[in-house]
Amino acid sequence: MTTSRLNSGFILVWRGLDIKKIIKFLLPVLTIIIFILVMQSGSWLKKPIGDEYDFSELVHDIIENVNNGQWDKVKEKSDDLENTWRRILVRVQFSSERDEINFINTALSRLKGAIMAEDKTSALLELNEALNHYNQLSK
Amino acid sequence: MNSLNEGLVVAIRAIIGFFSLLIFTRVIGKEQISQLNFFDYVLGITIGSIAATVTTDLSSRAWPHWVGLLVWAVLGYLMEIITLKSRNAAKYLEGEPAIIIKDGKIMEKALKQEKYRVSDILSLLRNEGIFDINEVRYAIIEPNGRLSVMKKPEYQPLTPKDMNIQVADQSLSAVVIYDGRVVEESLSLIKQDKTWLMEQLSKRGIKKISEVFLATIDSSGKFYIDKYDDQSS
Repeated sequence: MTTSRLNSGFILVWRGLDIKKIIKFLLPVLTIIIFILVMQSGSWLKKPIGDEYDFSELVHDIIENVNNGQWDKVKEKSDDLENTWRRILVRVQFSSERDEINFINTALSRLKGAIMAEDKTSALLELNEALNHYNQLSK
Repeated sequence: MNSLNEGLVVAIRAIIGFFSLLIFTRVIGKEQISQLNFFDYVLGITIGSIAATVTTDLSSRAWPHWVGLLVWAVLGYLMEIITLKSRNAAKYLEGEPAIIIKDGKIMEKALKQEKYRVSDILSLLRNEGIFDINEVRYAIIEPNGRLSVMKKPEYQPLTPKDMNIQVADQSLSAVVIYDGRVVEESLSLIKQDKTWLMEQLSKRGIKKISEVFLATIDSSGKFYIDKYDDQSS
């Protein structure tokens, strides 16, 4: 075997060792980074993706419609709000606490009842409560 | 109204808790359970408990619990480093070995300091096979709570060296068949092959390798064979 072949063999061995060492170090580091991203993802995953409605903007629109007594628009937009929340929930469930999620669910259910009764006070209460819990989500 | 998929969330959080714990414990160190002192033991329980909370406590986010887990692990690691680097810190944080029996006499002051009862010491001595304190030259309580005992010379066991007896050199046995399969690495280690192994087995009335659960061979060439069929000889 020539010296150059021996040398290239050594380089290969060294490279092999380096890659192993790098993988040994990188694997746990990457795992921890992925875990942190999953646990912290809620604050940006609750924001609209693509053509989705913005939950907080929608709530503000509904508050305005409630104040103006436009109940048809309120009914329509509350359905959009529910659908938007359903899509957000799938994304944020791994990084949010169950209680905040349940509070939003409850507020949206009560909102439905308030809209049926066209009860302005209750609707405003539930909308503000839902908005507050949404803002607290994944914080 | 849609609710969160609790099973799936717990599964994901369990993966996070499990692998975080695995990584953190690998970083903290490789001490054996038997070498742990009381603080290490409590540290282990606390870190395990936080990891369990990360997994199943859905009423709060995983993140704050995970940060708690990380901080406990980092502090544990720092303690490990400090005790490795500084002997004084190690003495202060982990304690020192304490002589509890000297020349068959119990050191009451040390006993009180270490908060051990005489009955505890007698029990630890019995675990070491000592039933008479007179046999003990030194008994030392280690920081991990174990008792190290040095017997007086007249009670030390006799060794072949004391009698000037030559004994055959011994080495570890090599496992050549495990669970009905040949362990090729062991065969190449003892510089033999499968044909040789089959010859050895047929000499002992075994036709197939799959009949054997475990076969080992020691440095003197002595076989130990355990067959699946325990009824036949």
